[in-house]
Amino acid sequence: MTDQLRLKSFNLGKFVIEYLVFIAIVLLVIITAIVEPRFLSAENFTNLMRQFGPLSFVALGMTFIIVGGFIDLSVPGMISLVAIISLSLVDTIGEIPAILVGLALGAAMGCLNGTILIISGASTQAKALFITFGMSQVYGALALIHTDGTSMNRNLLEHEMPLTRVLGSGMLGPLSVSFVVFLFFLTVLYIFQTRTFLGRSINYTGGNIVAAELSGIPTKRIMILIYAICGFMAAVSAVVLFSRVSVTTPTVGMNYERDAIMAVVVGGTSLLGGRGNVLRTVLGVSLVVLMSNCMNLMGVQSHLQEVVRGAILVIAIWLDHRRQ
Amino acid sequence: MNVNVMTLRQQTIRVLSKQKAVIAIAIMLFVMLFPNTNFYTPLNIMNIFRAASPDLIIAFGVTLAVICRGCDLSVGSVMALSGIIAIQLINGGMNIGLAILLATLSGSVVGFINGFLIVHQKTEAFIITLGMGMLVKGVALLLTSANPVPAKNMSFMMISNGSLLGIPNIMLFMLLLGAFTYWLLRYTSFGRNLYALGGDYEVAEHSGINVIRAKWVAFTITGTYAAIAGVLLASRLNTGSPIYGDAIPLLVNCGVVIGGTSFSGGVGGVVQSFIGIMVMQLLVTCMGALEVDRFIRMLVLGIVIVIIICMDCYSIKRKKEDV
Repeated sequence: MTDQLRLKSFNLGKFVIEYLVFIAIVLLVIITAIVEPRFLSAENFTNLMRQFGPLSFVALGMTFIIVGGFIDLSVPGMISLVAIISLSLVDTIGEIPAILVGLALGAAMGCLNGTILIISGASTQAKALFITFGMSQVYGALALIHTDGTSMNRNLLEHEMPLTRVLGSGMLGPLSVSFVVFLFFLTVLYIFQTRTFLGRSINYTGGNIVAAELSGIPTKRIMILIYAICGFMAAVSAVVLFSRVSVTTPTVGMNYERDAIMAVVVGGTSLLGGRGNVLRTVLGVSLVVLMSNCMNLMGVQSHLQEVVRGAILVIAIWLDHRRQ
Repeated sequence: MNVNVMTLRQQTIRVLSKQKAVIAIAIMLFVMLFPNTNFYTPLNIMNIFRAASPDLIIAFGVTLAVICRGCDLSVGSVMALSGIIAIQLINGGMNIGLAILLATLSGSVVGFINGFLIVHQKTEAFIITLGMGMLVKGVALLLTSANPVPAKNMSFMMISNGSLLGIPNIMLFMLLLGAFTYWLLRYTSFGRNLYALGGDYEVAEHSGINVIRAKWVAFTITGTYAAIAGVLLASRLNTGSPIYGDAIPLLVNCGVVIGGTSFSGGVGGVVQSFIGIMVMQLLVTCMGALEVDRFIRMLVLGIVIVIIICMDCYSIKRKKEDV
């Protein structure tokens, strides 16, 4: 009886901790709107939607990795390689096939990461971290070797790229096209994560890999699957990335792994695995994007922004472990 | 069935996995005999050691962290920051000794905070130090506005660039710190406790070791060593720059593991880390001497890292299966 009462009573502390990101976002919006009215303008809204771009896709993919109890630092290499390979194929096989090849390449690289981890028996996050870092070096080096270190200019290609142009700057009503694509992936991945057997299995695997294995979940296949999803989403973000800029460098993916991990953890997905979902990641990405937008509007120096970002990551990780 | 009888293949695998770093060095030295480069000159050998010294000093510190089943990915940023602090303080007119002391302390402080978060708050070492590294790098960028800072005081430059009896100072510092760490790990109760708690945290705790203090001190030492390496590097190059340490943390941690200090904790030591870092350094130097394209160098380094960490994981897996 008392237990039931306790369950029903409203626990402010718990509520604050559980919805900390949400509260932070609301506070941030209110404060910035008061200090800098330009924040609420329609232009800034479009701007915000654009900034949501590449990072949000990577973060969606990274969510599955972290929920599954692993980590993937190979994202920068994958993004760079996919962007470079797709762009260099446009002239020979056309725009849409080139993008499809890029997406397939992303998924394949993810599968390779997962397979290497399984073969070597790397069962902890720390080992996965080092191996995927090495893989990032490998993919990044391949991208650099492919272009010999030079950048690729999209406007210098002979082939017209209508799809890329639409993806980069098109608007669908009040929403940008890349944002619509993001909403599409979010819906698909959310349904996959919460409504399908495989999606639920990822959470079980992350929660307790031994128990999952014993209850008949194919944990090895799950590992390959989560890395493949991450690789695929990195490829999607690579496409979005080169649609936004005209010059793509072979190191274009740098630092995306860091920001993606930050967005996922800030959103409240536990680094210990098993807890969290893609919706939380959307909150995390929103906070990261809003924060840099607000700091830019208020004229905070860019290096100070780095410090703030690092501090928020450390605090988010610390809170995550406090919660356990 | 007799468990002790191993097939030849198993025996070979076991020997190879234990001595892989030494074998790698032997192969590289052998290969370098043939092409007509001036690899085997005293000057070049000295240069290899000199170039490896900052990495080695950091690696000695990281060894402590890895032995107690952690790792430290903030060392690169700490290194950059301490060099910048030292140079800026000296340029500001402070006494050199005091400035170096303060710069070294900055590393201790970061290590102390790392230790607090890891030991007391039970966060995962690798991810929290990754975050701390980001934060510290931000501070380094903020202090310098992302520009390199040149040192104006010549005597600061002589700390690393001078030499004693023909041996460069930076190597002497490295050897001193190496010897100190060796003593620390081998002959003090603190060092023995680290091995114990790395091997099995619970058992160490129940046998009365103050595990929290030992691990905390280990991370503080790791930060301090990284800061010392930063000061020495800044002195050698006569500049402090926020981009120095970008590739260091993962390379050094990998180097430590190559030597045989395993992520599963409780094994390894200074000598192993020395060999491990020398593998990485020799690889870079050999590829440079053979004029390998710089992007292919990056590729080879990446592949080597993946293979070595995989071998470490694989041997841990085999050990578990054997038991």
